[in-house]
Amino acid sequence: MSLRRFVRFASLVAVLLLVMTLPAPAQAPKYGGVLTLHPLTAPPSLSPHEESTIATVQQVSPCYSNLVYFDPAKKQESPDTIIPELAEKWSWQDNYRNLVFLLRRDVKWHDGKPLTSKDVKHTFDMVRGAADADAKLRINPRKLWYENVEAIEAPDPHTVVFRLKRPQPSLLLLLASGYSPIYPAHVPLADLKTTCVGTGPYKLKEYRPGEFVEYVKNPDYFIKGRPYLDGVKWVYIKDRSTQIAALQSGQLDVAGSGWNKANAETAKKGKAELIVVENNSNVNDNVLVNGKRAPLTDPRVRRAVNLALDRKAYLVGPRLGAATFGGAMQPRPSGVWGLPDAEVATLPGMGDPAKQKAEARKLLAEAGFGPNNPMKLTVSTRALAIYVDTASWMVDQLRQVGIDAVLEQIETGVWHPKMTRLDFQVALNLTGTAVDDPDAMFFENYRCGSQRNFSGYCSEEIDRLMVEQSQTLDRAKRLKIVNDIDRKLQAEGARPILGWAKQYAVYWPRVKAFPQHENSIFNTSRFQDVWLDK
Amino acid sequence: MRAYITKRLLIAVVTLVGMSMVIFFLMRLAPGNIVDILFESAGYVDQADKKTLERELGVDRPLVVQYVRWLGELAHGELGKSYRYDMPAWKIIKPRLPVTLELAGFALLFSILLGVPFGVLSAVHQDRPLDYVLRVLSLAGLSMPAFWLGMVVILIFVRSLGWMPSVMYVSPFVDLKANLWQFVVPALAVGYRSSALIMRITRSAMLEVLREDYIRTAWAKGQRRTLVVWRHALKNASLPVITVIGIEFAFLIGGLVVTETVFNLPGVARYLVDAIQLRDYPVVQNLTMFIAIVVVFANLTVDLLYAWADPRIKYEKA
Repeated sequence: MSLRRFVRFASLVAVLLLVMTLPAPAQAPKYGGVLTLHPLTAPPSLSPHEESTIATVQQVSPCYSNLVYFDPAKKQESPDTIIPELAEKWSWQDNYRNLVFLLRRDVKWHDGKPLTSKDVKHTFDMVRGAADADAKLRINPRKLWYENVEAIEAPDPHTVVFRLKRPQPSLLLLLASGYSPIYPAHVPLADLKTTCVGTGPYKLKEYRPGEFVEYVKNPDYFIKGRPYLDGVKWVYIKDRSTQIAALQSGQLDVAGSGWNKANAETAKKGKAELIVVENNSNVNDNVLVNGKRAPLTDPRVRRAVNLALDRKAYLVGPRLGAATFGGAMQPRPSGVWGLPDAEVATLPGMGDPAKQKAEARKLLAEAGFGPNNPMKLTVSTRALAIYVDTASWMVDQLRQVGIDAVLEQIETGVWHPKMTRLDFQVALNLTGTAVDDPDAMFFENYRCGSQRNFSGYCSEEIDRLMVEQSQTLDRAKRLKIVNDIDRKLQAEGARPILGWAKQYAVYWPRVKAFPQHENSIFNTSRFQDVWLDK
Repeated sequence: MRAYITKRLLIAVVTLVGMSMVIFFLMRLAPGNIVDILFESAGYVDQADKKTLERELGVDRPLVVQYVRWLGELAHGELGKSYRYDMPAWKIIKPRLPVTLELAGFALLFSILLGVPFGVLSAVHQDRPLDYVLRVLSLAGLSMPAFWLGMVVILIFVRSLGWMPSVMYVSPFVDLKANLWQFVVPALAVGYRSSALIMRITRSAMLEVLREDYIRTAWAKGQRRTLVVWRHALKNASLPVITVIGIEFAFLIGGLVVTETVFNLPGVARYLVDAIQLRDYPVVQNLTMFIAIVVVFANLTVDLLYAWADPRIKYEKA
């Protein structure tokens, strides 16, 4: 082969290799089609400000808009991934005491009326329970989120000012949550329980309680060219096997809400072309230890219970290998505020199981319990499979250290009243927060006297640190305080965390740009960028 | 006959009033109430807000007052408001009734179409291979829960054909063909169980009748086999069969919970369970009353059909 021919051949090979290694050109989104999904459960109402369930947020998000929202294309939610929605711009003023939003001028409600700053004021005055609010929520689960808001002003139709009692950089994250949509001031609040008048990419077509929620494309959506889909339909399918069969038969485009690893694998086994995506989530399995009820008033007994629960056995047992370990805040790297990995490995329950169980037995003996006088303990949990599996495992673990544990299944309807009354000894609970932020997690679940502080834990020092982290502007300094709080909570066994569950999305390859976040399941269902390659 | 129907209707009214008391007070005996559940979905309980809500929903009043108010509303044809969904209970119940009635109707039809002929054939071919086969089939039908059979059928469809009945309800007025496809599999699954019962009852009743003198006489006179079996014998054997069919229909109206769940059919039975869990009293009370009314009237219809099946039965005093 002559040199010239060799060079020509080598060039050809080089070009071919280059072409082969280049990424495939991105497909241009297509318009049309209806995305069909199943929700975790049927929504109790269509009013997210009155509910605390993912079911409502998930299913009404296509209809509403927030001031700001988390970027659907980014995996992790953080202050850096907040994008404008109804607010065109925003700025912090007066050393983070005032948050000013400038609204878009081209936004119309689904009934044709223009959006103004009055709607924003109406929404958040109502949610924070302001004395002069023009409407009152019958149930107001997120009032606590806005207790630092002193006043909301609407100086002109397109400007809104949130005046705060003290600096609170996290307020912006709370406003970006799926739980913070803007309600229309001109629609009676009661109507929004069964209908939806929003400014989002989809308009409500029909809602049948316990059956389905159906949307059609909003042609006047303020983002031009969006949405791509003609509609979205949430179909409530109660039975897990039917959900899997409906996905495999192609009746559902997306499934997986509430599925565990086994369900996702079963679906994939039946239809190999299905795409299964495993993500971390911001839902943890935690143990409520009632320190006000004997024998758990004794700190040695509380620690023994914590040590008896072998976290690695939890991972392979009830969670089937699909969980991560951490403290009160979601573990890194999917979470923003978690304890460093090295520290997580030293938390109670994470060490050598034999040694920890031996230590637990020793502590129980010191507290006066042993083979001749076994401690009797009732482990309470909600009568739902996802709770009962883990609680049953807990009973077994506690028996291994000589505790005479029994399981008590509590019907959903009486679960929270019982927890609020501290009418239990030890309970297995699941906790998820709408945004991965210490303000949302700590104030709600650990502050003295909070309605959802089910273990009754109370520490003045922790309360002080909560406020301190909340108003710390420097993110590194804030992380340090947050980790200090978490460390103390774990050391004191305030609410032992077993682990953080993984979540699954299973869908057909035709579904494109389906948004998934690693540190929240609450803020991804706007669907304005989703399209179907049909 | 008229006096009999009037008497039965009066008994039906008394039964329904009794039922209403049982339904109303049993519901209140269960732990937890609607206000707790409304707060449950909010994830917290605020005592002041709870009291306001109890007042708003009227559940703070004495139980007797609440009961009388409910009866008053029923008498005026009002079904109250769903506590859970904050909308008229009728609006929630109405779209679910045709679904359950259609499923129960089809299931009953299949069960009669399968159960009666097989029961007759089994009796006529007593202790022969066909009888054994049919008895095994009926035993299998009684042993297999309808939801399990339904699930297996769904899996077979999905695995082999990549198809299953629609998980979204299709009204017959929108697409009759799709509606029939949607109902045929669950109706067969449920109907198979009922048909097994009907078949066994038909078989034993037929065996008894086939040994009667008048049947022997008919055979001796050389009557056609089909005439003897299907007209003379079956009509006289039909009393217990009619009774069972009536009971099965009443059972089907309220007993389709799992089948409706497996096939994702939005009927009253599935919703009743959800409403009980949610302590949505107006919906539960009215749905249960509806089922009670169906049961009472199904029994009445069965009694009236006796006269048609057996002219010896007289309702008037001699």
